[in-house]
Amino acid sequence: MSVGRPLLHTSYASDMALFNTGTKKVAFAALLGVGLALPFVLTDDILLQLASACVAAIGAIGLNLVTGYAGQVSLGHAFFLAIGAYTGAYLSGDRGDFRAMGLGVDNMLVWLPAAGLVAGLAGVLVAPLATRLRGLYLAIVTLGLVFVGEYILTEWNGMTGGLGQGRRAAKLSLFGYRFDTDGPLLGLEVTRAQKLLLLMLVLLVIFAIAARNLARSKVGRAFSAVRDRDIAAGVIGVNLARYKTIAFGISSFYAGCAGALLYTINGRFDAGQFNLALSVLFIAMVLVGGAGTVSGAILGAFFFTLLPRFTRDVIPTVAPFVSTSSTEQFNVFQLEGILYGALVIVFLIFEPRGLFGIWIRVRNYWKAWPFSY
Amino acid sequence: MKRLGSITIVALLALAGALTGCRSSESGSSGTAAAPGVTKEACPNAVDKNKGCIYLGIISDLTEGPFRALAVPITESQKAFWARVNKNGGIGNYEVDVTTYVKDNKYKPEVHNQVYQEIKGKVLALAQTLGSPTTAAIIDDLRANNIVAVPASWTSAWAFEDVILESGANYCVESMNALDYAKEKYQSKSVLAIHYAGDYGADAAAGAKIAAEKLGMTYSHVQTNSGAQNQAAAIQAVISGKPDLIILTTGPAETAAIVGNAAAQGYRGRFIGTSPTFNPGLMASPAAQALTLLYESTAPWDSWETDTPGHKAMREAIGNPAGGPNNGYTSGWVWSYPLKAALEKAVASGTLTRESLLAAAKGLTSVDYEGMLPTGAGNYAGGVDGQVKSSAIYKPDAAAVTKVTQVKELFIGPTAQSFKLEKPCFQMTL
Amino acid sequence: MRTFLEACTRGLGQGSVYALLALGFVIIYKATRVISFAQPAFMLVGAVLVTYLVGPLGFWVAVPLAAVATAGLALGVERAVVRPMVGKPAFVVAILTLGVDQVVRVVTNGFLPSDVRHVGDPWGLRTVLIAGLSVQERHIAMLIATAALVLALFAFFRYTRMGLAMRAASYDQEAALAQGVSVGAVFAVSWAMAGALAAVAGVFSAVGGSVDQLLWIITLTALPVIILGGLDSLPGAVLGGLIVGLVQEITATYQSNIGWLGSNFSYITPYVVMMLVLLVRPYGLFGTREVERV
Repeated sequence: MSVGRPLLHTSYASDMALFNTGTKKVAFAALLGVGLALPFVLTDDILLQLASACVAAIGAIGLNLVTGYAGQVSLGHAFFLAIGAYTGAYLSGDRGDFRAMGLGVDNMLVWLPAAGLVAGLAGVLVAPLATRLRGLYLAIVTLGLVFVGEYILTEWNGMTGGLGQGRRAAKLSLFGYRFDTDGPLLGLEVTRAQKLLLLMLVLLVIFAIAARNLARSKVGRAFSAVRDRDIAAGVIGVNLARYKTIAFGISSFYAGCAGALLYTINGRFDAGQFNLALSVLFIAMVLVGGAGTVSGAILGAFFFTLLPRFTRDVIPTVAPFVSTSSTEQFNVFQLEGILYGALVIVFLIFEPRGLFGIWIRVRNYWKAWPFSY
Repeated sequence: MKRLGSITIVALLALAGALTGCRSSESGSSGTAAAPGVTKEACPNAVDKNKGCIYLGIISDLTEGPFRALAVPITESQKAFWARVNKNGGIGNYEVDVTTYVKDNKYKPEVHNQVYQEIKGKVLALAQTLGSPTTAAIIDDLRANNIVAVPASWTSAWAFEDVILESGANYCVESMNALDYAKEKYQSKSVLAIHYAGDYGADAAAGAKIAAEKLGMTYSHVQTNSGAQNQAAAIQAVISGKPDLIILTTGPAETAAIVGNAAAQGYRGRFIGTSPTFNPGLMASPAAQALTLLYESTAPWDSWETDTPGHKAMREAIGNPAGGPNNGYTSGWVWSYPLKAALEKAVASGTLTRESLLAAAKGLTSVDYEGMLPTGAGNYAGGVDGQVKSSAIYKPDAAAVTKVTQVKELFIGPTAQSFKLEKPCFQMTL
Repeated sequence: MRTFLEACTRGLGQGSVYALLALGFVIIYKATRVISFAQPAFMLVGAVLVTYLVGPLGFWVAVPLAAVATAGLALGVERAVVRPMVGKPAFVVAILTLGVDQVVRVVTNGFLPSDVRHVGDPWGLRTVLIAGLSVQERHIAMLIATAALVLALFAFFRYTRMGLAMRAASYDQEAALAQGVSVGAVFAVSWAMAGALAAVAGVFSAVGGSVDQLLWIITLTALPVIILGGLDSLPGAVLGGLIVGLVQEITATYQSNIGWLGSNFSYITPYVVMMLVLLVRPYGLFGTREVERV
């Protein structure tokens, strides 16, 4: 695979390669470099939000596998996130901790895959629904999962620590090294936020590359066939039940891992979080980012995680005259909420293919620059 | 397509602008210079431009969360409280600003944590952190950075936190007082707790259980969720169980639904709710008649109209609030006194840092609540034993300004008096 | 038996509110193949409007007026932000309606100050005795109002030109367009009708209780209802609503006898019923089976 003329592939292997153009390689390396440098440039509060965005991106990539690649719209993502979050917290929780029971297995290498596997198993169990239903029916039935899950969690105080109080999230510890405390990292004295971002970034890269790899494999091609026309796919010999099950399983594995990691940034979580709104947020990340691409899911996750921060910061600067008194109509807090909704609306009208669509347009523009066509 | 070039550039500029927070500008938690949130420059809108400024943060539920109806008055009342402090000469050589760093948590723990991280480096302490799951999301960080915070909730867990400056009786004790009162006045023999999950509802329910055991009453409980339409199970538990007394820890709309429907289906026992179960607006609801007949509410302090210097100052400072006076204003005001006392003590000690403020707060043996709480309240040095345990009883009254009149003045029932808090009440298995 | 029958009357009352909400979803779905997540906001708008209008105008004027105003709002939303999305994937439009929901609800919340507000209905929590059962008047009113609206809708779809156009457009948009049906007008009328239905449902959810900003949550129960009835079936929505209302209320009454289900199993009964039905009938009770060609 030589860096030669773009889009000229001389073999099938080079067309299907992980980075099928030279530019992608360079851009990936550059982005990774920027990502690794960020913790030493930005303040802790932004770093924590970026770390959350990285974890959200893992979850969004997972949802994108089932929704964007395999075409099965699932509103049940919050359910799988919950399974992962509680598996992780349960495995690494202290034994004998009041109510919120645990096994005391701290090592990330144990609880993170375990969280993924348990959620993945749940995904496999749910998959038969997907072979029977499609479209909005499937979406709303998976939404039912979220409600059932939410109900179980509100009743199961021994696991959740009780609604409104919650329990500690999983411990970010790797063979005794803690990622969730200030301390040295490779000889540098760094804060918790810096460590968290670096860790989450590395994990995101691993999960993203794995997803991209999957997408270009036989399984990935089968997913696309199922998405584009499932009956046609069945006719040409794609085993629908099998691939829908695989899609749900892997997607839920990603969700489980993301769930287990997501709350380590806050440190605590309670059962009230895993609701419709969370599922919808992830669907929005995938759709606004660009369904069916790994980078789209990442963009979407960053967009939705950082958007509230943006609205909080931008209103006082551009409109300092807005009332900060919460009793008045159209105060700054309401405007935040309105701006959030309005940005989503305007954005989708302007570019229904999502952030990834904008990226394609921008890329094509600069590719041809200075000639506009 | 022409636009795309400029859009790219604008987007890049916007991104660069948005991420202006550079690491070097942050002093870190152990800065040797001035403490975070304390400046030599005067506050924006200062009364006396020659004084320095202490910035305090407020994180509350201001737009979409379930407690907005209480959170907004609490926040406005706190603004009025600190404005009055400034008008009366501030704290030593400083004035206090609580308007610059007000953030909305939407009652979501992760949002709470995010906005907290955003303002953390810019405030000395938190004048309000509303809600328990939300505050739980930042409590480790508060402890690690010695940041004192005023809660806007009454859970018994705060008794065990040094950084939290709570006021008034917690839900657990309030329920005990309610049971003592009902035992004496109505000779109740059985009690049903209808409660939300978590430390608000479960705390009160645990208090009711402890008191019921002590008073020889039969106890049962049912957990319910928010939403007036979701109360069918709770109503059914009332109708089929027919307990003499029901302890409510829900929101106002849920209270109206439960009391109204239970009465409509023939129940004639007594309801006693904690203070967040009532809202003056309920007296215009279809349940008003049932509420007047069957319902009373407990409160950790006296209502808006009471004649104490503190209440008087509050009414003067707030005037005639939009939407009418309610509990939220009183609560926001009362909660602010301990922080004022701690700030005064810390300033008097010569150094004003987060550490000195925490030390001052921990060392408070009493706080001047200007008569709004009994003398001796605010004994943070006493730890768990320094907790206030008094509650008052109110009943709905359509004629009164706040729609309630007092039935029983602040009192400590025998159960609460002899009760020793060893761990947060809600940690009991119900 | 008495307890059971009384639970049924409450269930039918509550179920008729679900039916109204579900009808709104189904009407929009039939016209545009989109589930509008803006319905919760319209429902809240309707209820809040009535709390303001009821003082000067009285309940009977306030409700239709609020319904019309909400319909106008829905119409505006459709024209301004949904119409440009014609032909875009259904789920993208659904997310867009979520944005609408967010904006409208935040604004509406601003009109719900710290006070609890009321729709000032004439029924309150009074009960009447019918055949020895004590039945709440408001549940009778809900049932009658829903019946009247359903009849009106039936007549509209059956006998008016617009109704015919809407039915045609829901079968095949292109064919309808070719026959001179203004599909744009069909979209607009669908949204307006759904808005009005949501407003009425909002008011009836608050009857006998109060309006607070969490009122919209009831709309979520309409989602399993429409799936249960079949996404594109109006009778399905009505029947589904009543079934869900009945099952939910009966479960609420008897769940304390079945301890292991937990104390609030009735919250999720709509979803459980939906899942059970879908296991047998994947397109709901009355939904059209999709005919797929490859």
